[in-house]
Amino acid sequence: MDPLPNGNNVAAAAAPPSSSSSKLTESLKLEHQLLRVPFEHYKKTIRANHRLVEKEVSAVISALPHSADHDDAIHHLNSLVSRLQGLKRKLEDGSRAERLQAQRCRARLDHLESADGDNISEWNNTRLKRILVDYMLRMSYYDTATKLAESSNIQDLVDIDIFYEAKKVIDALHNKEVAPALAWCADNKSRLKKFKSKFEFQLRLQEFIELVRNENNVQAVIYARKYLAPWAATYMKEFQKVFATLAFTSNTGCEIYKVLFEPKQWDYLMDQFKQEFCRLYGMTLEPLLNIYLQAGLSALKTPFCYEDDCTKEDPLSQESFRKLAMPLPFSKQHHSKLVCYITKELMDTENPPLVLPNGYVYSTKALEEMATNNNGKITCPRTGLVCNYTEVTKAFIS
Amino acid sequence: MELNSIKDAFDRVTKKQKVSSSKSQEAIEQISQEIDLALSRIQSATPQPDHNVILSELKAKLKEMAPLGQLEGPQKELNLALSKYTKLLEKQFNPDISKSYRNVDFDFHTVNQIIASHLYRENMFDIGDCFVNEARVDAVVDKKTHFLEMYRILESMKSRDLGPALKWAAVNHDKLQQNGSDIELKLHRLQFVEILQHGSRDEALKYIRTYIAPFANQHFPEIQKLMACILWAGKLESSPYTDLLSPAHWVKLAHELAQQFCNLVGESIQSPLSVTVAAGDQGLPTLLKLMNVMAGKKQEWQCMKQLPVPVDLDQDFQFHSIFVCPVSREQASEDNPPMLMSCGHVLCKQSITKLSKNNSTRPFKCPYCPTEVQVGQCRKLCF
Repeated sequence: MDPLPNGNNVAAAAAPPSSSSSKLTESLKLEHQLLRVPFEHYKKTIRANHRLVEKEVSAVISALPHSADHDDAIHHLNSLVSRLQGLKRKLEDGSRAERLQAQRCRARLDHLESADGDNISEWNNTRLKRILVDYMLRMSYYDTATKLAESSNIQDLVDIDIFYEAKKVIDALHNKEVAPALAWCADNKSRLKKFKSKFEFQLRLQEFIELVRNENNVQAVIYARKYLAPWAATYMKEFQKVFATLAFTSNTGCEIYKVLFEPKQWDYLMDQFKQEFCRLYGMTLEPLLNIYLQAGLSALKTPFCYEDDCTKEDPLSQESFRKLAMPLPFSKQHHSKLVCYITKELMDTENPPLVLPNGYVYSTKALEEMATNNNGKITCPRTGLVCNYTEVTKAFIS
Repeated sequence: MELNSIKDAFDRVTKKQKVSSSKSQEAIEQISQEIDLALSRIQSATPQPDHNVILSELKAKLKEMAPLGQLEGPQKELNLALSKYTKLLEKQFNPDISKSYRNVDFDFHTVNQIIASHLYRENMFDIGDCFVNEARVDAVVDKKTHFLEMYRILESMKSRDLGPALKWAAVNHDKLQQNGSDIELKLHRLQFVEILQHGSRDEALKYIRTYIAPFANQHFPEIQKLMACILWAGKLESSPYTDLLSPAHWVKLAHELAQQFCNLVGESIQSPLSVTVAAGDQGLPTLLKLMNVMAGKKQEWQCMKQLPVPVDLDQDFQFHSIFVCPVSREQASEDNPPMLMSCGHVLCKQSITKLSKNNSTRPFKCPYCPTEVQVGQCRKLCF
């Protein structure tokens, strides 16, 4: 094997998949989120239903009176009966939700299964729409997301309802309210703990800052004792820093403390929430669109994309795509890949490249056709040079 | 990937879930029954038992039933199935495709503009408008106008009205000629066939004279054929030219018109967003494998100027000729262009300079054949 210029083991890592069926498999393997998210939702509903049963049943059992007078006993038992009936009704709703969510999980499995060679372009089209809906939901463009999903009939393949749960919290944070976010933290306490999330701590810090801003110093201290102290051991530095704002107050000129009072802290909390939310549902932390775009732009990016005569079909001929590709790496080729300027077909052993006297290269197919149509004459489309077909020579590309 | 095994695992989850929830219902039912029984005993008139005794009996009974204990078993099995399924998904799929994501400022205004253009181009004007509104996108008005016109022409063609298409072709006559497109003649031909089927011979002849004759110098044989068609006016289906009636002509021409239209307004034929995402789909598996190898070198990945591995894309994504020097393995560039040696083999300039030991008159042997080559005879190539 040839020694590689940068000589590390990285280059040998990836043997690209060749046949189209293995390509399809590779592409399906990227769809983890598609199956994972509805499943997390389903799991959540199952757990909630189960907890409800446990809670209510143990409540009913422990509420049985030891002794009571006759009428009280009857009254008590009657209330327990109606409580159990209420539980049954709630469970019916819960099972309905479970069924719907299981159905959605199945719909997505079926969708993956439906991808094969014959409908692949349609399937890819749907994938792009799914990716767009995912992007819109993450960016809080709910109306467009819903419209796009409905018009393409892919409601079962996107997670609009799940994102509406996030919307409440995001809207509240937008209005500088933390209560819904805290409620969400409480709902998902055990899982957040598992991820070692410090989102709740950050919310608490913000509430503390708001108290300091309003000069409610006494309340701020009480608040810190109650809600911040339990986190202090883990996040001592931040705790100390925020606590020091009590001394500096909100009109401080000291840069470290000043930023804590800036409104962008709320934007930061919003981003933080989105991250935690995505993590909890097993979504990628970045929008799928950005991930696919970055990979695609890197794979397409060559120095030639930036030349004036770049073909319009190359996305990187457009200013907007170039802008996105700017911080991304160029693609790499180990072997020559030559495309005929005229026919846009690959020049390989089947259709070898031919050299005109001026050094311009075109495919055999293109030049042969031109020669037959013009009595053996060839005109170079880029320089206007006219020559005979007999003057062209073969080039060997290895 | 084994979709069937994933489906089986999911079936197991739903099965266990059903068992578990029917157990819950059963337990609740039992408790209700016991309480109901106790109630009716307390309320029954004769013989009056001590209600406190009944209460404690009920309590003992419920304790014995241990309803929560009954739920534990199925719940455990359900939990097992749930976590198994999660693990299976993680194993069978790429659990985190954002691993290859570069943490750079990916300007969302630009992304939004790209999306808006895409929606308009794909004939989703309502959704596009909604998006522009909701995401506050600006500067895609031009594109919208272009694509609105294009789809108006195409829609008319669908209902067999060539009016807008012909008008567009007439307005852009010069540009179309310049691009070597004969779409205008094709549109007129289609219109002519329509007239021939429904109208009179005179009308058809007049149409040829006015609209088709000007193309005579380039498309004479074609026009002769059309003239001959006039003989079969009204019964073209029984003529040798019956092929002209095929509806496929309409579909093909609509497609060609879309291409020419995009070309004239400076747009690509395919949506650049679709192209890039499709390229991303093909590139991601390779990039993710690369990230597994590069694990722990995230910093290095963030600042790499060129991918360390080739990403194999289909031919549809090959927009440029890339020449890789077979000796140095480097990509040709303006400073290091590909050179054709007298034997027909091609190397990059720097490799040739090296092989000749920087002596332009001293011949050297081609690395791929026995020919002796001189630097002076090498020619620069343009692909």
